[in-house]
Amino acid sequence: MLTRQLARHALLTAACLTGIGSWAASGPGYDDPDNWPQYHRSYNAWRFSPLQQVNKANVKNLRVAWIHQPGVITHGLQATPIVVDGVMYTIAPDNNVFALNAATGQVLWQYTAKLDPIVKEVFYGSASRGVTVGRGKVFIGTLDGRFVALDQKTGKQMWSTQLTNMKAEYGALFSSPPQLAGNVLFGGTTGGDQPVIGKIFAVNADTGERTWTFEIPRDDPKSWPRDSRKRGGGSAWLPGTYDPGTDTIYIGTSNASPDFNRDDRMGDNLYTATVLALDPRTGKIKWHRQEVPNDTWDFDAAYEALLVPDGQGKTVLAHLNKNGFVYVMDKDTGAMRNAWQYTENMNWAKGVDPKTGLPIDPVHPETDKTKLHCPNLLGARSWNHGAYNPGTKLWYSNGMEVCNHVTSARQEPLTGISQLALGLADIKLVDPPGKKADGWLGAFDPVTGKATWKVRFEMPHLSSVLTTAGGLVFSGDMRGIVHAFDADNGKELWSFNAGSGVRGGPISYAVNGRQYIAVPTGLGSHAPGFLTGAFPQIRDLPGGAALVVFTMD
Amino acid sequence: MQRCLGLLLAVACQLPGAIASAAEPPFALDDPQRIEAGRRRFASTCAAYCHGAEGSGGRAPAFKGNAGLTADDAFKTINEGRRGSDIMPPWGNALTPEQIWELVAYLQLLSRQPAP
Repeated sequence: MLTRQLARHALLTAACLTGIGSWAASGPGYDDPDNWPQYHRSYNAWRFSPLQQVNKANVKNLRVAWIHQPGVITHGLQATPIVVDGVMYTIAPDNNVFALNAATGQVLWQYTAKLDPIVKEVFYGSASRGVTVGRGKVFIGTLDGRFVALDQKTGKQMWSTQLTNMKAEYGALFSSPPQLAGNVLFGGTTGGDQPVIGKIFAVNADTGERTWTFEIPRDDPKSWPRDSRKRGGGSAWLPGTYDPGTDTIYIGTSNASPDFNRDDRMGDNLYTATVLALDPRTGKIKWHRQEVPNDTWDFDAAYEALLVPDGQGKTVLAHLNKNGFVYVMDKDTGAMRNAWQYTENMNWAKGVDPKTGLPIDPVHPETDKTKLHCPNLLGARSWNHGAYNPGTKLWYSNGMEVCNHVTSARQEPLTGISQLALGLADIKLVDPPGKKADGWLGAFDPVTGKATWKVRFEMPHLSSVLTTAGGLVFSGDMRGIVHAFDADNGKELWSFNAGSGVRGGPISYAVNGRQYIAVPTGLGSHAPGFLTGAFPQIRDLPGGAALVVFTMD
Repeated sequence: MQRCLGLLLAVACQLPGAIASAAEPPFALDDPQRIEAGRRRFASTCAAYCHGAEGSGGRAPAFKGNAGLTADDAFKTINEGRRGSDIMPPWGNALTPEQIWELVAYLQLLSRQPAP
């Protein structure tokens, strides 16, 4: 073991001597090493930076290079910044978009979206998870239901297309950046918790002209009895990914509505809680895999489609569900290759059949009954994404061990757009039976689920994870401590107190031969509030919004 | 609309933030039936969304033992919402003033209980 470690150290040292450049490997995940050009950096959703100037040996020397404060803190910073050729593009609360000099933090331009006043009434307000850059433009999805394109150089608005009817669709809005598939710009809205027909929209990225709309609740009375489809919810509230090799969009969908009551929707409720593979030109389904038929736990299937080598020469799609299982699929057909349990505390089903992908003996909430369900409604992990390192062949992802007591109830008609259709009489987030709720960061073989290491935390991290070719894993906690761990064993090598929690996506990039680590800080989203039931100490944690960028001399 | 008995109340229904918040509660805030109605609404909406069971969760101060929360302030906050580092959407367009006062009655009950 020691010999292997020494050999690895020697390899890393040798690589460092060659400068900042990436590992010798090339291809998806390694390409374009100085930039962070898309949401997960590469289409395979690795969140891996091939840069290695900052490594295990010197990470302790990281210092703050610059800080950007957008001046608005509502729901903190939830974005993953984009960096292209020395310019950082990011988004702050209330759709404030910034282009920054990525070496100094100097503001190059700012765009503030003029939003419909109705946004003030919406439950899912203020927050955005990022922007998309391409075709000379910066694209955002707005809090009042539009796709907007800005000129990449000036920030001037080029086009704006209204896609949702905020009033009629209970405030369905874009909390995530639409993604590019060639000249097609696509994305979905909030809406899984609302009595609407959730949709995925696509427009021409150059003109904003609408091209196709995918209605997530399938028009099928077997899936949706009576008129339940019209209130079936379904949304695609996280960014999808686009595999240019097969010309395929991967995008996951939300739970059905009402979230915790299925009395009026006794069917499989396709295509909610489903991984979709779509043709970007038509929006037609290439294949689909529904992970949670008749979802009554608010589990969704919205998380990232991680494409990883299976060790046998093929690439597979590994997909974490809030329900506590990872589904490993053939990326071209959706056929099951494996299923493994991610969470430690799970009682909603006895397992997942690794051949069919279906839950075994699921225990559904029932009207007027109170049941304990694990994982809780936020999931075995919240939406904060994991990261895959091709050097270690490990997938680093945060988790939480929290359950909820749910009393299901029939859903009364909503009377305002601030309301959600949850189908609840009561809900309480609690400790797992006989244990204290906590969080962890795990390093897994994404295909088999074998854990190499786990680091446990008093409270779960709500930060996305970054891993680098320097052998590092970065994640931030709800108190605002940014941590760097050894990718091989989870040993903490560096930390920094940013003062307010991390909810966004840390990234790494390089400008003029210097590597930077950027961490959006500022505790936000509704998740911390939900979690206060299990972690009362969250109540005293401050909000904030500061993008903190580190480098080394 | 049946709750809007006169012009003044009709206006109040349309402009809840401007007028209803200044109005007196239309029933005694210690009425057990109203408190129970407020408890049910709180559990299915406020607790489920943000505030946790009996107001024990959320980023706002716990409601139990919170003697500083006056009825008028509680009504105003529910009616108009609040934005700071977090968001509480305004409920004045979704709930009637009477329904909001029922929530206030329940919060007043919680405030008289020991702090957690």
